[in-house]
Amino acid sequence: MDAEVLVIGSGAGGATTAAVLAEAGFDVLVVEEGEWIEQGSVVPFSLQQMDLQYRAGGVTVALGLPSIAYTEGRCAGGGTEINSGLYRRPPEDVLQRWADDFRIADLDLAEVSSIADEVERALSVSTVPGGAGAPSDVLRRGADRLGWQNSEIPRWMKYSNDDAGSGQRQSMTRTYLPRAVAAGARLVTGCRIERLEMVGGRASRAITMHADGRLGSIQFRHVFVCGGAIQSPALLQRSRISGHIGRSLAVHPTVKLTARFADELNVPDDVPVHQVKEFAPDLSFGGSASQPGLVALALSDQWRTFSKAITDWRRMSIYYAAITSEGRGRVMSVRGLRDPIVTYRLTRRDRAMLGSGLARLALLMLEAGAEEVYPSYRGAPVVRKRRDLATMQSKFSASKASVMTVHLCSTVPMGEDTALCGADSFGRVHGTANVWVNDASLLPTAPGVNPQGTVMALAIRNARRFAGSERPRG
Amino acid sequence: MASAPRHLSLDRIVGPFAHLLLAADLPRLPDERRLEVVGFVQRRADAVPSFTRFGITMIAVVYRAIMVVPGGRGAARFIAARPLPVLAEYPRLIRSLAYAYVWERWPDTRPDGAAR
Repeated sequence: MDAEVLVIGSGAGGATTAAVLAEAGFDVLVVEEGEWIEQGSVVPFSLQQMDLQYRAGGVTVALGLPSIAYTEGRCAGGGTEINSGLYRRPPEDVLQRWADDFRIADLDLAEVSSIADEVERALSVSTVPGGAGAPSDVLRRGADRLGWQNSEIPRWMKYSNDDAGSGQRQSMTRTYLPRAVAAGARLVTGCRIERLEMVGGRASRAITMHADGRLGSIQFRHVFVCGGAIQSPALLQRSRISGHIGRSLAVHPTVKLTARFADELNVPDDVPVHQVKEFAPDLSFGGSASQPGLVALALSDQWRTFSKAITDWRRMSIYYAAITSEGRGRVMSVRGLRDPIVTYRLTRRDRAMLGSGLARLALLMLEAGAEEVYPSYRGAPVVRKRRDLATMQSKFSASKASVMTVHLCSTVPMGEDTALCGADSFGRVHGTANVWVNDASLLPTAPGVNPQGTVMALAIRNARRFAGSERPRG
Repeated sequence: MASAPRHLSLDRIVGPFAHLLLAADLPRLPDERRLEVVGFVQRRADAVPSFTRFGITMIAVVYRAIMVVPGGRGAARFIAARPLPVLAEYPRLIRSLAYAYVWERWPDTRPDGAAR
């Protein structure tokens, strides 16, 4: 196989890059490690979905005290196929801070805003017609009672006839990937890129491994690495590309609780769409997938005292408190190991913030009418009244908690400051001639909001810049 | 055409421990269900990334070694119930996977594992 432009990965960064470049006339080959799984063929947030569309079945962890569980999509469309689909525009204050602190050249806020408008149209970003459902309403109700700022977050979801039940996820397999293919791009699934062969700062060939273990290679002129914030730096490291690669992993660490109400509210195959942003960007609250297996998982840290509640799972739903962390992590490829080692270190402030965040979230649940609240950490008490919150917070320790994240970024930060950045202001890896990164790895810090809207907008900006400076071979 | 090396299966060291843990935690889980859950746990443990797999193997071997000596099964259960650094992460992983599977597959399972 060969291609003028090889795009590695087909998620929010890869699919948008492929569409822009194919439509600009480049010969584009997209290579995706996972398989194409048709929407609707698996139940959302189920273990079967984790088997088919998540890396390692969803059992991936950043080592630390505590270790932080994370998830990565591994399928055509990447994370956009499996996440909540909640969309946030790139925050202008964050973009400006990135431009200043990391010396990102030509980061035109008006241009990014205009691209965000395009993305929103392409993905049919919209709110749920007719109201967002009981688990979401818990967040709204509790926040309203406390006077805390909250809102429904729109999603990339298309509804017909204002019917909330008709929602069709507008992920990459429904939007930018078909656009790329319609413009001539080729998509190969079930194929992992082992490494890039580099000669004097220029990559010329990718060594591939298919799902059945066969090795092969792809020749190309340019390569866009879009495997996400873990796999992109890992591939660059395996390719012996040095620089600021994999050293500054940023995430939104998250702790959870399960709340039980008087009436049934559990929605097994969807997530709440409200978020509480009263304490943003430091701290935000939202809802998680809550099928009964995940409720059992959330109760498992204190199973001896929480287990009886599992029979009431229909009256329960899971909620999270996410923080913008000061801590950082690393992604390290080690010779002989197929997967990178990922580590993350929470700061003292992060740990305190997780504890106070969980206590505030529990308060919100009580205000929303929760009968009982079950925090996810070892030794946690059942919270029934306001007076229980102090005990809950005093017993909390991040090391005892099930900390997790779904937002991973910043492992190849973009900008001209080579002491801080692995790639230039448009994603070209420093020290290389034809290797670009175009995914969440480029975000210089965790943005404090759902990041994929920002990822898509910046990926399109960078791909357009490339298309404007390089001519298709024709 | 060249091909990739294969790794060794973790079934023999993860399976017996998962059985032990489930028998203690969910004593009334029917045998055929327990077998199915253990099969799932083994598949997932086998699919974890390289470094995590290395860690699991090391800890699992320790538990397996404890389990094969006389009185060792009780000792393994005792250790698994303690919040020991590193060692506790393994039973925690097994429990997480097992409970998630049990209640997704059979949502009306009682806390002791009995089918409703």
